[in-house]
Amino acid sequence: MTDANVVGVGMTAFGVHGSTLPDLFAEAALPALDDAGATADDVDAFYLGNAMGGQIEGESHLAPTLASHIGLAGVPCQRYEDACATSSNAFKNAVRAVEAGQHDVVLVGGVERCSPETGKETDAMTRIFASAAHGAYERPTGLTFPGVFALLTKRHMHEYGTTPEQLAAVAVKNHRHGSLNPRAHFGSETTVDEVLSGPVVADPFRLHDCCPFSDGAAAAVVASADAAETLSGDPVRVAGVGHATDIVPIADKAHPSATQAARDAAGQAYEAAGVGPDDVDVVELHDCFTGAEVLATEALGLVEDGEGGPAAAAGRTSLGGEIPVNPSGGLKAKGHPIGATGVAQVVELTEQLRGDADSRQVEAADVGLAHNLGGDAATTIVSVLESVPRRDSDQRGEVAR
Amino acid sequence: MSESLDAYRSDGRLTTNGWRAALEDGVLLGQACADCEHVTAAPKAACARCGSRDLSTVQLPEEGTVYSVSRIEVAPAGFDAPYHVGLVTLGDARLTARLSDAAEIGDSVSFQNAVTTPEGPAPRFG
Repeated sequence: MTDANVVGVGMTAFGVHGSTLPDLFAEAALPALDDAGATADDVDAFYLGNAMGGQIEGESHLAPTLASHIGLAGVPCQRYEDACATSSNAFKNAVRAVEAGQHDVVLVGGVERCSPETGKETDAMTRIFASAAHGAYERPTGLTFPGVFALLTKRHMHEYGTTPEQLAAVAVKNHRHGSLNPRAHFGSETTVDEVLSGPVVADPFRLHDCCPFSDGAAAAVVASADAAETLSGDPVRVAGVGHATDIVPIADKAHPSATQAARDAAGQAYEAAGVGPDDVDVVELHDCFTGAEVLATEALGLVEDGEGGPAAAAGRTSLGGEIPVNPSGGLKAKGHPIGATGVAQVVELTEQLRGDADSRQVEAADVGLAHNLGGDAATTIVSVLESVPRRDSDQRGEVAR
Repeated sequence: MSESLDAYRSDGRLTTNGWRAALEDGVLLGQACADCEHVTAAPKAACARCGSRDLSTVQLPEEGTVYSVSRIEVAPAGFDAPYHVGLVTLGDARLTARLSDAAEIGDSVSFQNAVTTPEGPAPRFG
Protein backbone atom coordinates (compact mmCIF):
# COMPACT_ATOMS: atom_id res chain seq x y z
CA MET A 1 0.00 0.00 0.00
CA THR A 2 1.37 3.40 -0.98
CA ASP A 3 1.12 6.54 1.12
CA ALA A 4 -1.35 9.19 0.03
CA ASN A 5 -0.10 12.76 -0.04
CA VAL A 6 -1.80 16.11 -0.42
CA VAL A 7 0.31 17.84 -3.08
CA GLY A 8 -1.83 20.83 -3.96
CA VAL A 9 -4.58 22.88 -2.34
CA GLY A 10 -6.86 25.77 -3.20
CA MET A 11 -9.96 27.44 -1.84
CA THR A 12 -12.12 30.46 -2.36
CA ALA A 13 -12.75 33.02 0.31
CA PHE A 14 -15.74 31.82 2.34
CA GLY A 15 -18.60 34.30 2.53
CA VAL A 16 -21.17 35.46 0.01
CA HIS A 17 -20.70 34.58 -3.66
CA GLY A 18 -22.98 35.29 -6.60
CA SER A 19 -21.26 32.92 -8.99
CA THR A 20 -22.63 29.54 -10.10
CA LEU A 21 -21.46 26.32 -8.45
CA PRO A 22 -19.20 25.41 -11.43
CA ASP A 23 -17.58 28.85 -11.50
CA LEU A 24 -17.21 28.89 -7.71
CA PHE A 25 -15.64 25.43 -7.72
CA ALA A 26 -13.21 26.40 -10.48
CA GLU A 27 -11.89 29.18 -8.22
CA ALA A 28 -10.70 26.49 -5.81
CA ALA A 29 -9.91 23.58 -8.15
CA LEU A 30 -7.73 25.34 -10.71
CA PRO A 31 -5.46 26.88 -8.02
CA ALA A 32 -5.23 23.45 -6.35
CA LEU A 33 -4.06 21.87 -9.62
CA ASP A 34 -1.60 24.74 -10.15
CA ASP A 35 -0.31 24.39 -6.58
CA ALA A 36 0.28 20.68 -7.24
CA GLY A 37 1.99 21.40 -10.53
CA ALA A 38 -0.58 19.07 -12.13
CA THR A 39 -2.35 19.39 -15.44
CA ALA A 40 -5.75 17.95 -16.25
CA ASP A 41 -3.99 15.00 -17.91
CA ASP A 42 -2.37 14.07 -14.61
CA VAL A 43 -5.72 13.61 -12.83
CA ASP A 44 -7.11 10.07 -12.76
CA ALA A 45 -10.38 10.67 -10.88
CA PHE A 46 -12.54 13.34 -9.26
CA TYR A 47 -14.21 13.00 -5.85
CA LEU A 48 -16.75 15.72 -5.02
CA GLY A 49 -18.51 16.78 -1.87
CA ASN A 50 -21.79 18.68 -2.24
CA ALA A 51 -24.47 18.16 0.35
CA MET A 52 -27.54 20.13 -0.60
CA GLY A 53 -27.18 21.48 -4.14
CA GLY A 54 -30.32 19.56 -5.07
CA GLN A 55 -32.40 21.26 -2.40
CA ILE A 56 -30.80 24.70 -2.48
CA GLU A 57 -30.14 25.24 -6.16
CA GLY A 58 -31.95 22.39 -7.92
CA GLU A 59 -28.60 20.92 -9.03
CA SER A 60 -27.91 17.21 -9.22
CA HIS A 61 -25.36 15.08 -11.10
CA LEU A 62 -22.87 17.77 -10.20
CA ALA A 63 -19.60 15.86 -10.32
CA PRO A 64 -19.45 15.36 -14.11
CA THR A 65 -20.73 18.91 -14.62
CA LEU A 66 -17.93 20.33 -12.49
CA ALA A 67 -15.36 18.00 -14.04
CA SER A 68 -16.30 19.20 -17.50
CA HIS A 69 -16.10 22.82 -16.32
CA ILE A 70 -12.49 22.47 -15.17
CA GLY A 71 -11.09 20.32 -17.98
CA LEU A 72 -11.48 16.89 -16.39
CA ALA A 73 -14.22 15.49 -18.63
CA GLY A 74 -13.80 11.75 -19.03
CA VAL A 75 -12.36 10.86 -15.62
CA PRO A 76 -14.47 8.76 -13.24
CA CYS A 77 -16.41 11.09 -10.95
CA GLN A 78 -18.31 10.50 -7.75
CA ARG A 79 -20.25 12.77 -5.43
CA TYR A 80 -20.58 12.29 -1.67
CA GLU A 81 -23.30 13.49 0.69
CA ASP A 82 -22.92 13.12 4.43
CA ALA A 83 -24.36 16.41 5.66
CA CYS A 84 -21.62 18.63 7.06
CA ALA A 85 -19.01 15.82 6.76
CA THR A 86 -19.62 15.60 3.02
CA SER A 87 -16.24 16.51 1.56
CA SER A 88 -14.26 14.77 4.30
CA ASN A 89 -15.88 11.58 3.09
CA ALA A 90 -14.89 12.47 -0.47
CA PHE A 91 -11.35 13.06 0.85
CA LYS A 92 -11.34 9.75 2.71
CA ASN A 93 -12.35 7.85 -0.39
CA ALA A 94 -9.80 9.69 -2.52
CA VAL A 95 -7.12 8.75 0.00
CA ARG A 96 -8.29 5.12 0.09
CA ALA A 97 -8.27 4.91 -3.74
CA VAL A 98 -4.71 6.22 -3.87
CA GLU A 99 -3.54 4.01 -1.01
CA ALA A 100 -5.03 0.98 -2.77
CA GLY A 101 -3.28 1.81 -6.03
CA GLN A 102 -6.58 2.32 -7.81
CA HIS A 103 -5.69 5.87 -8.80
CA ASP A 104 -2.38 7.77 -8.70
CA VAL A 105 -3.66 11.34 -8.71
CA VAL A 106 -7.13 12.36 -7.54
CA LEU A 107 -8.75 15.78 -7.39
CA VAL A 108 -11.01 16.04 -4.34
CA GLY A 109 -13.10 19.05 -3.50
CA GLY A 110 -16.30 20.46 -2.17
CA VAL A 111 -18.59 23.32 -3.07
CA GLU A 112 -21.79 24.71 -1.58
CA ARG A 113 -23.78 27.91 -1.53
CA CYS A 114 -25.87 28.49 1.62
CA SER A 115 -26.03 32.28 1.95
CA PRO A 116 -29.16 34.35 1.21
CA GLU A 117 -27.53 35.08 -2.16
CA THR A 118 -29.09 31.72 -3.16
CA GLY A 119 -32.56 33.24 -2.71
CA LYS A 120 -33.13 31.11 0.40
CA GLU A 121 -33.56 33.16 3.54
CA THR A 122 -32.88 31.93 7.09
CA ASP A 123 -36.16 30.04 7.61
CA ALA A 124 -35.92 28.22 4.28
CA MET A 125 -32.25 27.35 4.79
CA THR A 126 -32.91 26.26 8.39
CA ARG A 127 -35.50 23.82 7.07
CA ILE A 128 -33.13 22.51 4.38
CA PHE A 129 -30.36 22.01 6.95
CA ALA A 130 -32.86 20.18 9.20
CA SER A 131 -33.32 17.61 6.44
CA ALA A 132 -30.19 15.94 7.88
CA ALA A 133 -32.13 15.13 11.06
CA HIS A 134 -34.47 12.11 11.32
CA GLY A 135 -37.59 12.67 9.23
CA ALA A 136 -40.07 10.98 11.57
CA TYR A 137 -38.51 11.10 15.02
CA GLU A 138 -36.80 14.52 15.03
CA ARG A 139 -37.96 16.93 12.34
CA PRO A 140 -41.65 17.04 13.37
CA THR A 141 -40.61 18.42 16.78
CA GLY A 142 -39.19 21.48 15.02
CA LEU A 143 -35.66 20.49 15.90
CA THR A 144 -33.12 22.63 14.02
CA PHE A 145 -29.39 22.07 13.71
CA PRO A 146 -28.59 24.74 16.25
CA GLY A 147 -31.17 22.84 18.33
CA VAL A 148 -29.39 19.50 17.87
CA PHE A 149 -26.13 20.90 19.21
CA ALA A 150 -28.00 22.90 21.84
CA LEU A 151 -29.43 19.65 23.23
CA LEU A 152 -25.97 18.06 23.31
CA THR A 153 -24.40 21.16 24.86
CA LYS A 154 -27.13 21.68 27.46
CA ARG A 155 -26.57 18.10 28.57
CA HIS A 156 -22.81 18.69 28.71
CA MET A 157 -23.39 21.82 30.81
CA HIS A 158 -25.53 19.73 33.15
CA GLU A 159 -22.96 16.92 33.36
CA TYR A 160 -19.79 19.00 33.69
CA GLY A 161 -20.77 22.55 34.62
CA THR A 162 -19.73 24.08 31.30
CA THR A 163 -20.81 27.74 31.32
CA PRO A 164 -22.15 30.20 28.71
CA GLU A 165 -19.01 32.30 29.32
CA GLN A 166 -16.82 29.32 28.38
CA LEU A 167 -18.87 28.77 25.22
CA ALA A 168 -18.46 32.45 24.39
CA ALA A 169 -14.70 32.09 24.83
CA VAL A 170 -14.72 29.66 21.91
CA ALA A 171 -16.42 32.24 19.70
CA VAL A 172 -14.02 34.98 20.81
CA LYS A 173 -11.00 32.78 20.06
CA ASN A 174 -12.23 31.67 16.65
CA HIS A 175 -13.19 35.19 15.63
CA ARG A 176 -9.69 36.30 16.66
CA HIS A 177 -8.15 33.53 14.58
CA GLY A 178 -10.48 34.34 11.68
CA SER A 179 -9.37 37.97 11.75
CA LEU A 180 -5.93 36.65 10.73
CA ASN A 181 -7.36 34.68 7.79
CA PRO A 182 -8.06 36.69 4.63
CA ARG A 183 -10.41 33.92 3.42
CA ALA A 184 -12.64 34.03 6.52
CA HIS A 185 -16.32 34.97 6.29
CA PHE A 186 -15.99 37.02 9.48
CA GLY A 187 -12.88 39.18 9.70
CA SER A 188 -13.78 40.98 12.90
CA GLU A 189 -13.13 40.13 16.52
CA THR A 190 -15.84 39.79 19.14
CA THR A 191 -16.01 39.82 22.93
CA VAL A 192 -17.56 37.58 25.58
CA ASP A 193 -20.02 40.38 26.43
CA GLU A 194 -21.04 40.76 22.80
CA VAL A 195 -21.60 37.01 22.42
CA LEU A 196 -23.64 36.84 25.65
CA SER A 197 -25.85 39.78 24.66
CA GLY A 198 -26.76 38.47 21.19
CA PRO A 199 -30.19 37.18 20.24
CA VAL A 200 -30.94 33.55 21.15
CA VAL A 201 -31.00 31.09 18.24
CA ALA A 202 -31.49 27.89 20.28
CA ASP A 203 -30.57 28.22 23.93
CA PRO A 204 -27.82 28.09 25.11
CA PHE A 205 -26.65 29.36 21.71
CA ARG A 206 -26.88 32.99 20.78
CA LEU A 207 -26.12 34.39 17.35
CA HIS A 208 -22.33 34.51 17.83
CA ASP A 209 -22.27 30.93 19.12
CA CYS A 210 -23.32 29.85 15.62
CA CYS A 211 -21.45 29.56 12.32
CA PRO A 212 -22.82 31.58 9.41
CA PHE A 213 -24.56 30.50 6.21
CA SER A 214 -21.62 30.67 3.79
CA ASP A 215 -20.80 30.11 0.15
CA GLY A 216 -17.45 28.70 -0.92
CA ALA A 217 -15.34 25.95 -2.41
CA ALA A 218 -12.17 24.07 -1.51
CA ALA A 219 -10.05 21.54 -3.39
CA ALA A 220 -7.02 19.34 -2.88
CA VAL A 221 -4.91 17.10 -5.09
CA VAL A 222 -4.18 13.70 -3.51
CA ALA A 223 -1.29 11.73 -5.00
CA SER A 224 0.56 8.48 -4.39
CA ALA A 225 4.16 8.66 -3.18
CA ASP A 226 5.45 7.96 -6.70
CA ALA A 227 3.15 10.49 -8.32
CA ALA A 228 4.06 13.08 -5.70
CA GLU A 229 7.70 12.69 -6.76
CA THR A 230 6.83 13.75 -10.29
CA LEU A 231 4.69 16.74 -9.30
CA SER A 232 6.16 20.01 -8.11
CA GLY A 233 3.73 20.69 -5.24
CA ASP A 234 5.13 20.38 -1.72
CA PRO A 235 3.57 17.22 -0.27
CA VAL A 236 1.92 16.68 3.10
CA ARG A 237 1.48 13.03 4.05
CA VAL A 238 -1.93 11.61 4.95
CA ALA A 239 -0.95 9.54 7.96
CA GLY A 240 -4.37 8.21 8.92
CA VAL A 241 -8.09 8.64 8.32
CA GLY A 242 -10.82 7.35 10.62
CA HIS A 243 -14.53 7.26 9.84
CA ALA A 244 -17.31 6.26 12.21
CA THR A 245 -21.03 6.76 12.60
CA ASP A 246 -23.42 6.75 15.53
CA ILE A 247 -27.13 6.05 15.88
CA VAL A 248 -29.75 8.36 14.37
CA PRO A 249 -31.76 9.88 16.05
CA ILE A 250 -29.76 11.46 18.89
CA ALA A 251 -32.31 10.31 21.47
CA ASP A 252 -31.23 6.73 20.75
CA LYS A 253 -27.51 7.34 21.22
CA ALA A 254 -26.09 5.73 24.33
CA HIS A 255 -24.50 8.98 25.58
CA PRO A 256 -25.33 11.83 23.21
CA SER A 257 -22.90 14.45 24.58
CA ALA A 258 -19.97 12.03 24.29
CA THR A 259 -20.17 12.22 20.46
CA GLN A 260 -19.03 8.60 20.25
CA ALA A 261 -18.50 8.64 16.47
CA ALA A 262 -15.77 11.27 16.98
CA ARG A 263 -14.10 9.11 19.63
CA ASP A 264 -14.23 6.06 17.35
CA ALA A 265 -13.01 7.92 14.25
CA ALA A 266 -10.20 9.58 16.21
CA GLY A 267 -9.12 6.23 17.61
CA GLN A 268 -8.88 4.80 14.09
CA ALA A 269 -6.97 7.81 12.76
CA TYR A 270 -4.52 7.91 15.68
CA GLU A 271 -3.85 4.18 15.37
CA ALA A 272 -3.29 4.37 11.60
CA ALA A 273 -0.94 7.33 12.05
CA GLY A 274 0.86 5.83 15.03
CA VAL A 275 0.32 8.99 17.06
CA GLY A 276 -1.82 10.10 19.98
CA PRO A 277 -3.50 13.35 20.91
CA ASP A 278 -0.36 14.58 22.66
CA ASP A 279 1.53 14.41 19.37
CA VAL A 280 -0.88 16.70 17.52
CA ASP A 281 0.41 20.24 16.92
CA VAL A 282 -2.56 21.88 15.18
CA VAL A 283 -6.25 21.04 14.91
CA GLU A 284 -9.04 22.06 12.56
CA LEU A 285 -12.28 20.81 14.07
CA HIS A 286 -16.00 21.06 13.49
CA ASP A 287 -17.11 24.10 15.49
CA CYS A 288 -20.50 24.62 13.81
CA PHE A 289 -21.51 25.91 17.24
CA THR A 290 -19.33 26.86 20.18
CA GLY A 291 -20.57 23.87 22.14
CA ALA A 292 -19.57 21.56 19.30
CA GLU A 293 -15.95 22.66 19.71
CA VAL A 294 -16.08 21.93 23.43
CA LEU A 295 -17.44 18.42 22.78
CA ALA A 296 -14.92 17.79 20.00
CA THR A 297 -11.81 18.81 21.95
CA GLU A 298 -12.83 16.24 24.56
CA ALA A 299 -13.81 13.50 22.09
CA LEU A 300 -10.48 13.86 20.30
CA GLY A 301 -8.61 13.47 23.59
CA LEU A 302 -7.03 16.93 23.35
CA VAL A 303 -8.38 17.72 26.82
CA GLU A 304 -9.99 15.61 29.53
CA ASP A 305 -13.76 15.08 29.47
CA GLY A 306 -15.40 18.10 31.04
CA GLU A 307 -12.35 20.33 30.44
CA GLY A 308 -13.31 21.57 26.96
CA GLY A 309 -14.97 24.73 28.23
CA PRO A 310 -12.34 25.66 30.83
CA ALA A 311 -9.56 24.92 28.31
CA ALA A 312 -11.03 27.37 25.80
CA ALA A 313 -11.55 30.04 28.45
CA ALA A 314 -7.96 29.62 29.69
CA GLY A 315 -6.50 30.01 26.20
CA ARG A 316 -5.15 26.47 26.02
CA THR A 317 -6.73 26.03 22.55
CA SER A 318 -5.75 29.48 21.19
CA LEU A 319 -2.93 30.27 18.78
CA GLY A 320 0.08 30.35 21.08
CA GLY A 321 -1.62 27.96 23.51
CA GLU A 322 -0.69 24.36 24.18
CA ILE A 323 -2.88 22.92 21.40
CA PRO A 324 -4.11 25.51 18.89
CA VAL A 325 -7.62 24.66 17.65
CA ASN A 326 -9.08 26.20 14.51
CA PRO A 327 -6.30 28.65 13.56
CA SER A 328 -8.31 29.29 10.36
CA GLY A 329 -11.15 30.68 12.45
CA GLY A 330 -13.01 27.39 12.11
CA LEU A 331 -16.55 27.07 10.85
CA LYS A 332 -17.49 29.76 13.35
CA ALA A 333 -15.48 32.58 11.74
CA LYS A 334 -14.02 31.21 8.52
CA GLY A 335 -17.51 30.06 7.52
CA HIS A 336 -19.34 26.85 6.72
CA PRO A 337 -20.33 26.21 3.10
CA ILE A 338 -21.46 22.70 4.02
CA GLY A 339 -19.98 20.58 1.24
CA ALA A 340 -16.71 22.54 1.14
CA THR A 341 -15.93 22.48 4.86
CA GLY A 342 -14.11 19.14 5.16
CA VAL A 343 -11.66 19.80 2.35
CA ALA A 344 -11.19 23.39 3.57
CA GLN A 345 -9.90 21.88 6.82
CA VAL A 346 -7.39 19.89 4.75
CA VAL A 347 -6.39 23.07 2.93
CA GLU A 348 -5.69 24.86 6.21
CA LEU A 349 -3.73 21.94 7.67
CA THR A 350 -1.68 21.60 4.47
CA GLU A 351 -0.72 25.27 4.66
CA GLN A 352 0.05 24.95 8.37
CA LEU A 353 2.23 21.86 7.88
CA ARG A 354 4.04 23.49 4.97
CA GLY A 355 4.70 26.52 7.16
CA ASP A 356 2.74 28.76 4.79
CA ALA A 357 -0.01 29.99 7.13
CA ASP A 358 1.36 33.52 7.56
CA SER A 359 0.19 35.35 10.68
CA ARG A 360 -1.90 32.41 11.90
CA GLN A 361 0.99 29.93 11.57
CA VAL A 362 1.30 27.45 14.43
CA GLU A 363 4.97 27.16 15.35
CA ALA A 364 6.72 23.87 14.59
CA ALA A 365 3.57 22.27 13.23
CA ASP A 366 4.40 18.73 12.10
CA VAL A 367 1.22 16.81 12.92
CA GLY A 368 -2.22 18.20 12.06
CA LEU A 369 -5.66 16.77 12.76
CA ALA A 370 -8.97 17.49 11.02
CA HIS A 371 -12.32 16.57 12.60
CA ASN A 372 -15.45 16.94 10.48
CA LEU A 373 -18.88 16.03 11.82
CA GLY A 374 -22.07 15.41 9.86
CA GLY A 375 -25.72 15.33 10.84
CA ASP A 376 -26.85 14.92 14.43
CA ALA A 377 -23.32 13.87 15.47
CA ALA A 378 -23.94 10.69 13.47
CA THR A 379 -21.01 10.89 11.04
CA THR A 380 -17.48 11.87 11.97
CA ILE A 381 -14.31 11.70 9.89
CA VAL A 382 -10.94 12.39 11.48
CA SER A 383 -7.79 12.80 9.39
CA VAL A 384 -4.20 13.04 10.59
CA LEU A 385 -1.74 14.80 8.28
CA GLU A 386 2.03 15.02 8.72
CA SER A 387 4.61 17.39 7.33
CA VAL A 388 7.15 16.11 4.81
CA PRO A 389 10.61 17.65 4.63
CA ARG A 390 10.77 20.38 2.02
CA ARG A 391 11.76 19.42 -1.49
CA ASP A 392 14.72 21.83 -1.51
CA SER A 393 16.12 19.80 1.40
CA ASP A 394 15.64 16.63 -0.65
CA GLN A 395 17.53 18.13 -3.54
CA ARG A 396 20.45 18.79 -1.26
CA GLY A 397 20.33 15.13 -0.34
CA GLU A 398 20.02 15.94 3.35
CA VAL A 399 16.74 14.20 3.99
CA ALA A 400 15.73 10.75 2.88
CA ARG A 401 12.09 10.45 1.93
CA MET B 1 -48.12 -6.64 23.07
CA SER B 2 -51.85 -6.49 23.35
CA GLU B 3 -53.96 -7.27 20.31
CA SER B 4 -55.24 -3.71 20.32
CA LEU B 5 -51.85 -2.56 19.05
CA ASP B 6 -51.88 -4.93 16.06
CA ALA B 7 -53.47 -2.23 13.95
CA TYR B 8 -50.22 -0.29 14.11
CA ARG B 9 -48.08 -3.20 12.94
CA SER B 10 -47.37 -4.36 9.43
CA ASP B 11 -46.43 -8.02 8.88
CA GLY B 12 -45.93 -8.27 12.61
CA ARG B 13 -43.48 -5.37 12.68
CA LEU B 14 -43.90 -1.82 13.96
CA THR B 15 -43.09 0.54 11.09
CA THR B 16 -42.52 4.27 11.17
CA ASN B 17 -45.99 4.82 9.71
CA GLY B 18 -47.47 2.63 12.44
CA TRP B 19 -45.63 4.62 15.09
CA ARG B 20 -47.02 7.84 13.58
CA ALA B 21 -50.57 6.48 13.44
CA ALA B 22 -50.39 5.37 17.08
CA LEU B 23 -48.99 8.77 18.10
CA GLU B 24 -51.89 10.51 16.40
CA ASP B 25 -54.22 8.22 18.39
CA GLY B 26 -52.48 9.28 21.60
CA VAL B 27 -50.48 6.06 21.99
CA LEU B 28 -46.69 6.14 22.43
CA LEU B 29 -45.14 3.04 20.95
CA GLY B 30 -41.58 1.78 20.99
CA GLN B 31 -39.59 -1.40 20.52
CA ALA B 32 -37.73 -3.61 22.95
CA CYS B 33 -34.82 -5.71 21.70
CA ALA B 34 -34.90 -9.32 22.90
CA ASP B 35 -31.14 -9.68 22.44
CA CYS B 36 -29.56 -6.54 23.97
CA GLU B 37 -32.60 -5.21 25.86
CA HIS B 38 -32.31 -1.76 24.25
CA VAL B 39 -35.66 -0.01 24.28
CA THR B 40 -36.19 2.61 21.60
CA ALA B 41 -38.86 5.24 21.07
CA ALA B 42 -37.78 5.40 17.42
CA PRO B 43 -38.86 2.10 15.83
CA LYS B 44 -36.65 0.60 13.15
CA ALA B 45 -36.35 -2.55 11.06
CA ALA B 46 -33.57 -3.81 13.33
CA CYS B 47 -32.11 -2.83 16.71
CA ALA B 48 -29.87 0.23 16.36
CA ARG B 49 -27.60 -0.98 19.17
CA CYS B 50 -27.04 -4.63 18.19
CA GLY B 51 -28.65 -5.30 14.79
CA SER B 52 -31.12 -7.87 16.11
CA ARG B 53 -34.44 -8.23 14.32
CA ASP B 54 -36.01 -9.82 17.40
CA LEU B 55 -37.95 -6.73 18.41
CA SER B 56 -41.23 -6.57 20.29
CA THR B 57 -43.63 -3.67 20.12
CA VAL B 58 -44.06 -2.02 23.50
CA GLN B 59 -46.21 0.78 24.83
CA LEU B 60 -43.91 3.40 26.33
CA PRO B 61 -44.46 5.03 29.73
CA GLU B 62 -46.25 8.36 29.52
CA GLU B 63 -44.38 9.85 32.49
CA GLY B 64 -40.72 10.76 32.14
CA THR B 65 -37.95 13.21 32.92
CA VAL B 66 -36.26 15.85 30.79
CA TYR B 67 -32.81 14.62 29.66
CA SER B 68 -31.99 17.80 27.72
CA VAL B 69 -33.95 20.76 26.36
CA SER B 70 -33.57 23.82 24.15
CA ARG B 71 -35.75 26.83 23.43
CA ILE B 72 -35.77 27.21 19.64
CA GLU B 73 -36.06 30.85 18.61
CA VAL B 74 -35.01 30.58 14.96
CA ALA B 75 -37.38 28.06 13.38
CA PRO B 76 -37.52 26.25 10.06
CA ALA B 77 -40.02 27.49 7.49
CA GLY B 78 -43.49 26.33 8.52
CA PHE B 79 -42.79 26.45 12.28
CA ASP B 80 -43.58 29.36 14.61
CA ALA B 81 -40.86 30.13 17.18
CA PRO B 82 -40.29 30.17 20.04
CA TYR B 83 -40.95 26.63 21.21
CA HIS B 84 -39.18 24.04 23.34
CA VAL B 85 -37.70 20.75 22.11
CA GLY B 86 -36.41 18.16 24.51
CA LEU B 87 -35.00 14.70 24.90
CA VAL B 88 -37.26 12.92 27.38
CA THR B 89 -36.30 9.76 29.28
CA LEU B 90 -39.24 7.33 29.38
CA GLY B 91 -38.25 4.30 31.42
CA ASP B 92 -35.47 2.61 29.43
CA ALA B 93 -36.12 4.67 26.28
CA ARG B 94 -35.40 8.23 25.23
CA LEU B 95 -37.69 10.27 22.98
CA THR B 96 -37.36 13.56 21.08
CA ALA B 97 -40.41 15.65 21.90
CA ARG B 98 -41.99 19.07 21.84
CA LEU B 99 -42.31 20.45 25.38
CA SER B 100 -45.33 22.66 26.05
CA ASP B 101 -43.44 24.90 28.49
CA ALA B 102 -39.94 25.85 29.53
CA ALA B 103 -38.30 23.04 31.50
CA GLU B 104 -35.05 22.15 33.18
CA ILE B 105 -33.07 18.95 32.90
CA GLY B 106 -34.47 16.50 35.45
CA ASP B 107 -37.99 17.95 35.46
CA SER B 108 -40.87 15.47 35.44
CA VAL B 109 -43.08 15.67 32.35
CA SER B 110 -45.99 13.66 31.02
CA PHE B 111 -47.32 12.89 27.55
CA GLN B 112 -50.10 15.23 26.48
CA ASN B 113 -50.89 14.57 22.83
CA ALA B 114 -49.54 14.71 19.31
CA VAL B 115 -48.82 18.14 17.89
CA THR B 116 -49.41 18.46 14.15
CA THR B 117 -46.59 20.06 12.18
CA PRO B 118 -45.62 20.48 8.51
CA GLU B 119 -43.21 17.57 9.04
CA GLY B 120 -45.80 15.23 10.58
CA PRO B 121 -46.94 14.48 14.14
CA ALA B 122 -44.65 15.06 17.11
CA PRO B 123 -45.19 13.93 20.70
CA ARG B 124 -45.89 16.80 23.09
CA PHE B 125 -45.00 16.61 26.77
CA GLY B 126 -45.68 19.02 29.57
